[in-house]
Amino acid sequence: MRVEDIVKYMAENIPRGRVGAVEKAVAFIIRDFKIWWTYKLWITLDVLSSLTFVATYYFVSMIVTPQALIDAGYAADYLTFSVIGISLQHYVFASVSSLSDAIREEQWNGTMETLLSSNTSFRVFLLGESAFRFIIGSYFLLASLGMGVLLGIRLLLTPGSITAALVLTILLVASHMVIGVLGAAMILKLKQGDPIVWAFSWLTQLFSGVLYPLGLLPDWLKWVGNAFPLTYSLDGLRRCLMNGEGFDSPMIMENTLKLVLFIVVVLPFSLWFFKKAYDSTRREGALGQY
Amino acid sequence: MNTAVETENLTKYFKGDGGKERIVAVDHVSLSIREGEFFGLLGPNGAGKTTLIKILCTLVIPDEGTARVAGFDVVKDAEKVRECIGWLHGETGGRALYWRLSARDNLKFYAYLQNIPKDVARRRIDALLEFFELDKDADRLVKDFSTGMKMRVMLARTLLSNAPILLMDEPTVGLDATGAIETRRLLQALCRELHKTIVFTTHNIFEAERLCDRIAVMNKGRVIAVDTPLRLSEITRKYMGVEVRFRGSAEEAVRILEGLRVVKRIISVESEEDHTVIRAEVRDEEQALSEIPKVFSLNGLRTIGVQVALPNLEEVFLSLTDEEK
Amino acid sequence: MNRLEVLKLFMVEEKRTKSSLRQLSAVVWSQLKMMLAYKSWLIMDLLSTFASVVMYYFVGMQVDPTRLSQSGWGTSYLAFSLVGVATSNYLWACLTRLSHSIQHEIRGGTLETIAVTPINMFIFFIGLTARGYLVSLIYLVGVFTVGVYGLGAKLSFTPQSLFLFITLFVLMLVSNQALGLVAAGIIMVYKRGDPLVFILAAVNEFLAGVLYPLELLKRFPAVQLLSMLFPYTYALDGMRRVLILGASILDLKVLTDIVVLGVFSIMLVPLGLKTLAWGYNRIRREGTTSSY
Repeated sequence: MRVEDIVKYMAENIPRGRVGAVEKAVAFIIRDFKIWWTYKLWITLDVLSSLTFVATYYFVSMIVTPQALIDAGYAADYLTFSVIGISLQHYVFASVSSLSDAIREEQWNGTMETLLSSNTSFRVFLLGESAFRFIIGSYFLLASLGMGVLLGIRLLLTPGSITAALVLTILLVASHMVIGVLGAAMILKLKQGDPIVWAFSWLTQLFSGVLYPLGLLPDWLKWVGNAFPLTYSLDGLRRCLMNGEGFDSPMIMENTLKLVLFIVVVLPFSLWFFKKAYDSTRREGALGQY
Repeated sequence: MNTAVETENLTKYFKGDGGKERIVAVDHVSLSIREGEFFGLLGPNGAGKTTLIKILCTLVIPDEGTARVAGFDVVKDAEKVRECIGWLHGETGGRALYWRLSARDNLKFYAYLQNIPKDVARRRIDALLEFFELDKDADRLVKDFSTGMKMRVMLARTLLSNAPILLMDEPTVGLDATGAIETRRLLQALCRELHKTIVFTTHNIFEAERLCDRIAVMNKGRVIAVDTPLRLSEITRKYMGVEVRFRGSAEEAVRILEGLRVVKRIISVESEEDHTVIRAEVRDEEQALSEIPKVFSLNGLRTIGVQVALPNLEEVFLSLTDEEK
Repeated sequence: MNRLEVLKLFMVEEKRTKSSLRQLSAVVWSQLKMMLAYKSWLIMDLLSTFASVVMYYFVGMQVDPTRLSQSGWGTSYLAFSLVGVATSNYLWACLTRLSHSIQHEIRGGTLETIAVTPINMFIFFIGLTARGYLVSLIYLVGVFTVGVYGLGAKLSFTPQSLFLFITLFVLMLVSNQALGLVAAGIIMVYKRGDPLVFILAAVNEFLAGVLYPLELLKRFPAVQLLSMLFPYTYALDGMRRVLILGASILDLKVLTDIVVLGVFSIMLVPLGLKTLAWGYNRIRREGTTSSY
């Protein structure tokens, strides 16, 4: 094509259609999936290496006595207990931190500026980005639960417990997307490390009952776990999947309500916080900086 | 005079896409660069300039032929070669620094690797930082620097070791006009006054013309011509021609020139801001040079200058690479 | 400062004495300086050290002491896991750190700028591992301190047990770092495979029994056999015998562990050095000392 041809081509006036937020979010997901696909090897190996964790707890469960689980009202099966704990904890924080990584990478490559200058609101940007992370991150959840089933975890599935588990899973994802937004805002502002994501990650390991029931914590430490949606999600999902409980159980209802409350309170705050961070970096002209 | 850099049939192949194809990056290059010479490598993207430089600084091992730097073989005596060279890869745009170290720490680090005594290193680092106008930012992390500033840190790093042979791959990329001018002057002074050998690649033909004692034009891995900028213009001349600058009517001038026996044809007529330049092919240069001003003044045209028309380096370059095709 | 003043400074040729030690210390110094530029990371690392020990303390509360002692490791799961958790960081540092750092240097373009200075590249590579070793040391000391003084794990720290522990520990570092050299040499050439080393370390950690007694593997002879291929298995076994059971040099099992680790080291070190040299020359031949 010669210069004249291109000029002629560009001179044609094509009216722009309106692209809705959903279409844009979908465009993000497709783009991310294509990029993600180029990391096939990484992901396969990531799953494999994380499975060593499940295998490790298979052996740890052999020397554990289930008394503490029984005291906490769960079925007496440490393997199932720990596999659910590890796989969910890993899933949500892999997803949350990959959102932060994505934001940092966009900044690093300078694609963030291109993106936000292309007439896309930051909410659509965030929605697309984070939805993708949680969808694609679920491979790990499925792989580790599958591995658990192979090693003999026992799940009690009834229509009631499955329904409750699905609702709780959606709430788990939604509440952690909110945390992901907070983490992303921190990245924009601080341009390094993601203290929020990281702090959540190790605080939940300790206080959300990932590897042990919270009854084992001394009384003065038990309250810490209340701050994290993972605590409610884990307790609820374990009751569903290990005990077969459904929404008729008061504990399940309580956990569900607490999760909804968390989302309702923290979501507006985190969006506001991200907007603040986004605007202030724009004011500083540091959006594409790293 | 001694030879600083010498290559003989130097050849390097790389694997192409898929690994089957073999691409010749450097194709039987034989060069001899004198000590204290300012030597330019010119050529389009992918001509093999960077690979050639990388072989000279021991980063790439050649497949055939030999290369000697400061008398040492780049393969067998790689470590001795490294003691005599400073290398700069401008195209990296400031990436090849430790971004999490300050400018001063970057320089200190390389000074230690170069075995430069502590007090000498400190003095030189201070001097270079000041020269490159980095003294105020010397203790900030490099990651916060602009491209031009990073480039200046890289330049300082290259000069730090006071190596007799400087291999400068695009040293003025990313610098602003003043920075580029100052850098060119410094390089020139290093060459003239400290007799450093400078091997220099650039895309900026004007720069090469101004600085270099000799220029090698590369294309597709081969050196297609090596000579002084002036001689390169002469050998690529395709015709005898003159260039006349004058004030007055251009049509009138063309009519007059076409009437002269010594003029074969008019090649170009270009109007500059306040005068006109006509290039013409002639049968005899001497005759044309003396005849044209006389005839012009008889016809009321004011001649500003008349000279033998040599192609500038840009045209030389195009004509040489065109011949290749 | 003008051009002439700069020139003057370069007029005198200084005397240079080549000192590998000075070059090595320069590399280590720059690595540490860069590490300190990430202050928040360092604090996070220390906090998570603390968190992981506390986590295993609570996991240990669920462990049945009789089942643990049946496998011969005393009754304290905290003490048992402490030795594994404290040293496994070094396993990761030895196996993955160097290849990761080299990749980083290649991508940043700094490997080239170093390669053209008169430094012996092996010295540079050794210097690159410094950061991993230092962080792991902080981690090791932190884990032992929190575990022993904070949570009351009972480990035997006598002059003899410390001497044996250090012997086993050094042999573990040497043999695993040699494996790390092999990995680094290969990864330098192929520019990918980082994840392979990653999984190697993860599988190694699992097979060596960082969190459970290896006696439990008896049910799976194939897996048990696999675990015997890694030096870390022997190192961990020996270190636990010394620190938990207070075994002496006369203990046949400890002696076996030391000998096996010695054999691993003698075999792997030359292999590692050769692979690294091969990799470095290969990328110079292929012209891929930087890639971006």
